[in-house]
Amino acid sequence: MGVTREFSTDQKQLVIAIKGKFDFSLVQEFRQAYSHIGETQPTVIIDLRETEYLDSSALGMLLNMRKSLGSSVRGIQLINARPEVKRILDISRFDKMFTIS
Amino acid sequence: MKILVVDDQKANQIMLEGLLTGIGHEVCCVDNGQLALDVFEQFQPQIVLLDVMMPHMNGFETAPKLKQLSGNVHLPIIFITALDAKDTLLKCLQVGGDDFLSIPFEPVVLQAKINAHARVRELSYSLAEKNRTLNWHSNRMEREQNIVQHMLRNALRENELEQPFIQTFLRSASTFNGDLCLGKQGPFGNYYLFLGDFTGHGLAPATGTLPISQAFFGMAARGLSVSDMATEFNRRLINLLPDDMFCAGLIVEISPGGERLTCWNGGIPDAVVMNKEGHIEHYLQPRHMALGILPMQQFDSQVEHIFVRPDDFLVAFTDGVVEMEVQPGKLLGEKGFLSMLSQAWQSNGKQGFDSVREQLQDLAFRQQDQDDISLIAMQFSNESAPKLQEQVAHNHLPFTLQIDIGKAEMDRLDPVQQLVDSLGKLDALKPHKTTLYLLFAECFNNILDHNVLQLDSGLKEQLGFERYYQEREQRLNKYADFKIELVIRYDPTSKMVNFEIGSNGKRPYMTTGNADGPPKSCEEQLFGRGLQLVETFADKVEWRRQGQRLFVQYDVSRPPV
Repeated sequence: MGVTREFSTDQKQLVIAIKGKFDFSLVQEFRQAYSHIGETQPTVIIDLRETEYLDSSALGMLLNMRKSLGSSVRGIQLINARPEVKRILDISRFDKMFTIS
Repeated sequence: MKILVVDDQKANQIMLEGLLTGIGHEVCCVDNGQLALDVFEQFQPQIVLLDVMMPHMNGFETAPKLKQLSGNVHLPIIFITALDAKDTLLKCLQVGGDDFLSIPFEPVVLQAKINAHARVRELSYSLAEKNRTLNWHSNRMEREQNIVQHMLRNALRENELEQPFIQTFLRSASTFNGDLCLGKQGPFGNYYLFLGDFTGHGLAPATGTLPISQAFFGMAARGLSVSDMATEFNRRLINLLPDDMFCAGLIVEISPGGERLTCWNGGIPDAVVMNKEGHIEHYLQPRHMALGILPMQQFDSQVEHIFVRPDDFLVAFTDGVVEMEVQPGKLLGEKGFLSMLSQAWQSNGKQGFDSVREQLQDLAFRQQDQDDISLIAMQFSNESAPKLQEQVAHNHLPFTLQIDIGKAEMDRLDPVQQLVDSLGKLDALKPHKTTLYLLFAECFNNILDHNVLQLDSGLKEQLGFERYYQEREQRLNKYADFKIELVIRYDPTSKMVNFEIGSNGKRPYMTTGNADGPPKSCEEQLFGRGLQLVETFADKVEWRRQGQRLFVQYDVSRPPV
């Protein structure tokens, strides 16, 4: 359960993985995970492979992240979403704001 | 010693028997060769004293037949002869006799000869015994090896290494391979690869295959991360292997579109990512110690992430490849091998791998002591393979579940998660867990925030996201006596899950704005998606009892996605 953050060796990717439930109970942990990203303009990758549950507060947190990171990152990718999770992202039209793969 | 005396002269029989029994031997006397063969089976002589001239069957004829009866164990035959002619003595040896004694003789000479031949006989006998034991052990070993081989084969049955995008050259130095090469498709169309090299080669390292392959296949099927795999492999091996044994390992995951590569390398030579022209773009260096060395608290599961391009190749290999001798005393080396790779791809394009394989085969053929050799090349591709979900019929009982959730329940745990975890145990609901969680969570939060805590969703925009939740926390303590009632029904005939949720209604329902208010068209809107999502996913959503209760119906017969 929770959030883990990992930079790639070349600092070009920041991978944030969310395990279990993604909702407002992770709000601070999640914000910390994308803080202090440095000057390298990394691509932020949210790995949802182990995200089983999420609700609208998680969607809000993702949008918050996007707003606060702005142009300090190259892009934000949401990856490895389970089909059910991906459907929630699709229906919320998150593909317009994030790269979903 | 059991001694068989074969002589047609009664006088000789009596003389020899007397002498031999006198020095403690067991003696059996017969009159001719034929009788000697007849008693052989029963008496089991250990030494034979054989006369040359006898009726029915003489000594020359008898000797080879006795030798034959004795089989693998040496049977000393001493000819007793009155003839002193050289030819006769020679013939005695030619037909298989081991010694001869001319009558008359000194009794000590007979005794000395018997003792000498008894020693040879003993030696031969113990040798035959040892051979038998050795044979038994060797058969047993072979049988056991067959069993282990069978188990290893079965353990690797799930291996999905044979793919159009993968080429391999795997060669083991003995029956059992101490290198291990595994591949498996993950649930999102991602692909996992493991290349391992246990210390040494042969049976002992090959047994490490079992725990690693089982963990690998299980974790790949669940789509777990490379970092979790590395941790689990290390945990298993540290518990299992003796201190001087470990496993160098490379774990790789390729994303479904062939764009991202994640890897953990512990002690495997640099794997490389190469474009199709043979130019090396990335080196995946061994940044960690091999698996099965470091205790868990010191183990580092940090992985590397890199972007790759479809059509690029990953080439990984064990040190058996680079430690092959190209000339006596000169090893191929990592540099040598990588330049062989680049050249092969530059001059042969798609057939690059075949050319490398041929060169390695030639080298391997000339090796004195071989290590296990593994080489694998994987081409990335942007064609992902979607996995089909099976439709299965489920039979469950219909049920109605009533749950009252108050402050105490919320303090202890997340009631909605707990509820969905339990419902998800039913096969029919399992594939819908994520969606059911969304429905329950949104409705529960809506009732809690607006009906119980009297929070206006407009506050989220006024206060900001985090302040809103702080405010919510404060009000939770203030209105601590609330109770939210949830009634869930499942009907297996119509395949419908429906639920009604509301609070104990001590406070009037807020009339400002309809729940989350009118949907906003702007995609950037941070809040107010909750009930919109419920409307989208559910088959029916109704406010009942003047907005006090929310009714939601969801059809679980349709595919979850």
